[in-house]
Amino acid sequence: MPTFKLDGQEIAFQPGDTIIRAAHRAGIQVPHYCWHPGLSVAANCRMCLVEIESAPGFRPMSLDVLNWDAAKKEYVPGKKPKLQPACQQPVTEGMVVKSETSPNVALARKNVQEFLLVNHPVDCPICDQAGECMLQDYYMSQQRTSKRMRDEPVHKPKGVMFSDKIVYDAERCIACTRCVRFCEEVLGDPMLDMRERGNMYEITVSPGKKLEGHYQIMTEVVCPVGALTTSHWRHRGRVWLLKGTQSVCPGCATGCNMWLDVDPREQTVFRIRPRENEEVNKYWMCDDGMLTYGRIYKNRIVSARIGRGSTEQATVVDAVAKAVEELSKAGSRVAAVLSAQHSTEDNLCLADLAKVLGWDLFLSAKADWDGDKILRHEDQNPNRAGAQQVSGSASPLPSLGVLASSLGKYTAIVALGADANVNEEALAGLGGVGAFVLLATNKGPLLSRATVVLPVASWAEAEGSFVNAKGLSQSFKRALSPKGDSLPAWDVITRLAKGLKQDLGFKRFADVRAALVARTSVEPTEAKDDLSVHPESMTPRAGV
Amino acid sequence: MEPTDKDLDESELELPAEPMTLNMGPSHPAMHGTIRMVLRLDGETVAGVDVQPGYLHRGQEKMGERGTWQQFFPYTDRLNYVSPLLNNVGYALAVEKLLGITVPRKCQLVRVLHGELSRISDHLTANGAMAMELGAFTPFLWLLKAREWIWELHETQTGARMTHAYVRIGGLAHPPTEDFPDLIRAVLPRIMDVVKESESLLLKNRIFLDRTQGVGKLSKAKALSMGASGPVLRSTGVDYDVRKDKPYLTYGECDFDVPVGQDGDNYDRFMVRLEEIRQSVRIIEQSLDLYEKIEPGSPEDQINIKDPRVILPPKEEVYSTIEGTINHFKLIMEGIQVPPGEVYQYTEGGNGELGFFIVSRGGGNPWRIRVRSPCFYSLQCCSGMITNGMVADIIPTFGSINMIGGECDR
Repeated sequence: MPTFKLDGQEIAFQPGDTIIRAAHRAGIQVPHYCWHPGLSVAANCRMCLVEIESAPGFRPMSLDVLNWDAAKKEYVPGKKPKLQPACQQPVTEGMVVKSETSPNVALARKNVQEFLLVNHPVDCPICDQAGECMLQDYYMSQQRTSKRMRDEPVHKPKGVMFSDKIVYDAERCIACTRCVRFCEEVLGDPMLDMRERGNMYEITVSPGKKLEGHYQIMTEVVCPVGALTTSHWRHRGRVWLLKGTQSVCPGCATGCNMWLDVDPREQTVFRIRPRENEEVNKYWMCDDGMLTYGRIYKNRIVSARIGRGSTEQATVVDAVAKAVEELSKAGSRVAAVLSAQHSTEDNLCLADLAKVLGWDLFLSAKADWDGDKILRHEDQNPNRAGAQQVSGSASPLPSLGVLASSLGKYTAIVALGADANVNEEALAGLGGVGAFVLLATNKGPLLSRATVVLPVASWAEAEGSFVNAKGLSQSFKRALSPKGDSLPAWDVITRLAKGLKQDLGFKRFADVRAALVARTSVEPTEAKDDLSVHPESMTPRAGV
Repeated sequence: MEPTDKDLDESELELPAEPMTLNMGPSHPAMHGTIRMVLRLDGETVAGVDVQPGYLHRGQEKMGERGTWQQFFPYTDRLNYVSPLLNNVGYALAVEKLLGITVPRKCQLVRVLHGELSRISDHLTANGAMAMELGAFTPFLWLLKAREWIWELHETQTGARMTHAYVRIGGLAHPPTEDFPDLIRAVLPRIMDVVKESESLLLKNRIFLDRTQGVGKLSKAKALSMGASGPVLRSTGVDYDVRKDKPYLTYGECDFDVPVGQDGDNYDRFMVRLEEIRQSVRIIEQSLDLYEKIEPGSPEDQINIKDPRVILPPKEEVYSTIEGTINHFKLIMEGIQVPPGEVYQYTEGGNGELGFFIVSRGGGNPWRIRVRSPCFYSLQCCSGMITNGMVADIIPTFGSINMIGGECDR
């Protein structure tokens, strides 16, 4: 691979790379605002200026300048190299670039940063971005001077509702146009635009358009400062109290990588941010994905119940005993329903139990939703492929609809997840089965049909993995402790198995994972910690 | 008729001599700062002793790892709480060494002045308490009266009598008042009058001399092997003083002597401290002259270094400009970014070599802080000093070590 030199360090690059991208690949940060690895080059912030000392076929340009000579107390003529934006300058073999080591670059960045803060409001104490703001980071690393301007700063609109999800503050905006470029390039719909120039610039919703669609929150995510904020997180907490956990979105079959930002003191997820993965979601996520943390709290089943339609709480021990009693009566005339919403490990446990007891397997799933060509998959279920994988069957698992039409064969049902993509009639049929053991996280259509309900942990509260539509198996980590009485589903199923005098051989989560790896001979990709390479992930250190 | 003393054999008059185990402390009022001694007594003689520190352990070093670098200052106040400013300075110097910065001259002199005043207050307390433990209550009250003047002086400068948290990394919390030198000059003679008056009550007092001379002896070899330092080491004849042997701040420019003892007994420790008060006064007087020689407005005439990465911006800027807000925010929320590395910085504390061993892995808080507290090492010598002595001498001997629980147990 060809190489070039950055601050004396030899760095490999791919043909066509710009300086900043080659450095980014090598895990080196060149300070920048407007450049984003997933967007086109705007080169408007001038923060990434570097000094190119020499390059083949490159004639170093120098400018005539006047330098203040403190001894003579006058300006003396001097020379200064013409600096180049690292985001725009293509790398060539043997190029010698100075970034951190050049005093000219340091001075230029200091001045750029000073101009950016000239009209900036004193907002850090009330700004959601404080703590992960690039203006703050670069103030400390590049500027470190007091304000010189004594005039009243320019005032611009604050708290502008771009949509019900996005709030804009023009005074904090540095006009990097990342949000504008995101809409135009990634979504293909120029919903945002910029008006005026100089001091008066402002991002606006394009004339005749609305900020709408499934990717509004991404405009806030790409914003390097606190100009765009989301209404769901706005003024709700502070980022340095959050701890990021690597997770995978349970919203659809794409399996976007993400950060679950948890406040460990309150054991509460406050927001979700995309996590870079070039193979899956690149740098992006959809709004529904970033709001999936709602399902950890809404419509949760937090205690066990015994009896159809019962609302009385029971202990998990009693409920497991009751379920075991009902299932042992049914013998092998049991339908086991895997879930496309639960992790592969959870499904593996149920499939294993079904296998040793001779139960038939079915699959429950949520109905399709509106997919698109960017990220959203039509299949709303994160793990249809994983459930299929562990069932051991080559043909697709029969759905709940099939089960409803062949109920005569079964005297009991044990189901993972309360979701069901069937009509009312079929549901009523399922409710007619004598014994119905349901292991569920959230309330769903199947809940009222169950005779025994066991609460299980959500994906954020247990370890596990999802297999996405492309067949990529991705693991996620535990971010919270399980709500109420709920336990990880693999644990509940192991308890049921024990009651049914079966030993699945699972004592800890690691046993289930090992069994999964042995069976599929695929190790779920580790949740990557990509802090070192991705500038946008400067933020996960929130809370450090 | 009952037998009279005359009828009894001589040996029957002696006290029963069966060995007896006695717990002193940790709640015993004379066991300053909660310490426990398990004594094996043979009559009134101490046959053996097990000295058990740790009852005041608060996990300070561990707490230091949780906070930012600046947030450790209040904890240092609670090490040797009779001379908190010396601890403040010791810790600040350690972090400054790691950062590779040197504070301006005025700041150095203020640190020396406050430090020596603290040392005087430390020695006044130690000597006063030791006298009191021998029954001399008056010198104790007088010396503590003088200590109170020092603390009042500290209060005018730092806002607190005891827990000052006045020093900052790269400077001080706020500049000294304009009359700072005058205040010191006014209080020093008054303190020395009290010292003179108090020593006149003790140094010709037969009881005091008999009960201190030759009591609680410590040999030079033992003191060295136990790692003792400060007055305890110097009383045995070793002239080790960090201010002299490894000068820091402006101590190198001051002319002062290091008093040493001969026998390493309670009397020597008392006298070393007494003389050190006089030497501290010499240092203070010279430092005041240096302090007043600083040209106003010169770079030397600064309290803090000029680096926004270390020093907080003025409050007016924090509240009115974004630059100040960001600077303040970053330093408070993320802390000073100290480069990775290890450092051991030692200074002469009230009780001897006060060392801070700090490991940084970069970032806003320390990875490890270890405090080499001088009285922990002095205390190691304690059992040897007490054994084979009298029970009544335990308290004054223990007092002469000047063990401060907060520093020893941390």
